[in-house]
Amino acid sequence: MCSIAAPEVFGSDELGHATVLIVGDLPAELHAKARRAQANCPEDAIIIEE
Amino acid sequence: MTTLEENAGPVNDPTTDFNIFDPEFVRDPYPTMSEIRESACPIAHSDRWGGSWLPTRYQDVVAIAQEHEIFTSRDIVVVPRSGLGVEGPYAGVAAPPISSDPPDHHWHRRLVLPVFAPQAVAKYEQTTRDFCNQLIDKFIANGTADAGTDYAQQIPVRVIATLLGVPLEMADEFTSWVRGVLEVGLTDPKVRFESRLKILNFFQTQLEDRKKNPREDDLITDLLNSGDKYPVTDQYVLGVCNLMLVAGIDTTWSAIGSSLWHLAGHPEHRAQLRANPDLWPTAVEELLRAYSPVTMARIVDRDTEFQGCPMKAGDRILMAYPAANRDPRQFEQPDEVILDREHNRHVAFGSGIHRCAGSNLARLELRVALQVWLERIPEFSLVDPAGVTWAGGQVHGPRVCRVRF
Ligand code: HEM
Repeated sequence: MCSIAAPEVFGSDELGHATVLIVGDLPAELHAKARRAQANCPEDAIIIEE
Repeated sequence: MTTLEENAGPVNDPTTDFNIFDPEFVRDPYPTMSEIRESACPIAHSDRWGGSWLPTRYQDVVAIAQEHEIFTSRDIVVVPRSGLGVEGPYAGVAAPPISSDPPDHHWHRRLVLPVFAPQAVAKYEQTTRDFCNQLIDKFIANGTADAGTDYAQQIPVRVIATLLGVPLEMADEFTSWVRGVLEVGLTDPKVRFESRLKILNFFQTQLEDRKKNPREDDLITDLLNSGDKYPVTDQYVLGVCNLMLVAGIDTTWSAIGSSLWHLAGHPEHRAQLRANPDLWPTAVEELLRAYSPVTMARIVDRDTEFQGCPMKAGDRILMAYPAANRDPRQFEQPDEVILDREHNRHVAFGSGIHRCAGSNLARLELRVALQVWLERIPEFSLVDPAGVTWAGGQVHGPRVCRVRF
């Protein structure tokens, strides 16, 4: 799900488990997409530190 | 306790006597779910169909799904099995990983996950699009079609047959076997038993064939050959094939059907999707939330009290994901379809260790099926809203759904 909502931020490994593609701080233009991914994560597994 | 006649009769109070096969509930379960959810007893109980609990609040459904040690998956069918099918050549064949509990669940799931990773399912996009176009070619000149039987029903079975490497020409047989297990068979044990036997006999032959003639890039061959990593048996491979067919067809077909049924009555949503293709990702999730097709079951492992309900070892709990997805405590305006809904942590695919392994494929099929339909049939409406028929119980969705265009 997160890789659909924010493909620049999340990818997936060969098992389909989510991976984070960006190391370090997120560029400002991706904040909205990352937030949408968080609001839709079925496992409530995304934490965004402001 | 497993047939319609034994369990018929009017329902006076759904919190103590719900009937998941009541024709009105099958057609439109949401008012009853909401009545239970807002009552003093949001976890209802009914003695019908062998007895079961029905949690309707999002929080409770998710909590039960997460507590997999107490609420086990040793039976996930919404009604008890009759004696039929427990004996016979396939007695030990289950449906891993959906019917597995830890510790085996881990490897049972691990082995099938690569098939359904986003990159892996992307290769079915064009195939799915082609199937959809071919189906529409057959009826577009008529100005009318059954969006259920002529379209929604036809798509997932072809995708799954492709994925399993089994003959596409058998689509109608696969469909009838799966309905025999998941739909008709729930209230008719004999049909269930015979359909299961047909599925397993068929895959047994496929297994024999792959052992003699291994194939490249083939799921069944790969599963048979993964014995170096995990204790893979024929029973396991048979069980996985069985599950792919049963879990991958009725479910996605119902999601496509419900979505088309919805769009038939909502010209403003059709217009929104045509005008703004960026909406597709949230629209797909929203349609899955609002019309969640699947209800699963759990079996209570040991006596336990949950939210004040005295649950006994062996009790059945119905995981009402469709009810959870319309809980106003979790979703604003839950009964409205809002195609760009921002907050949508829905549980149409379940929650916890059994979360749907095929969800990426299901999303792809749903999106492509709706996109192709709207490209070719931008305007359509129901021929007879009252004539639409619905399936319910384990999987909820329209079956006959005539539209004109
Ligand atoms: C819209 C379509 C679909 C819906 C709504 C759906 C829903 C679900 C749900 C709710 C579960 C969780 C079961 C539980 O809580 O016990 C599940 C599990 C599963 N589904 Fe789906 N499903 C869909 C399509 C598919 C497809 C296309 C496949 C692929 C063949 C698939 C394969 C599986 C598997 C293998 C599991 C078991 C996962 C496990 O136990 O670890 N599903 N599905």
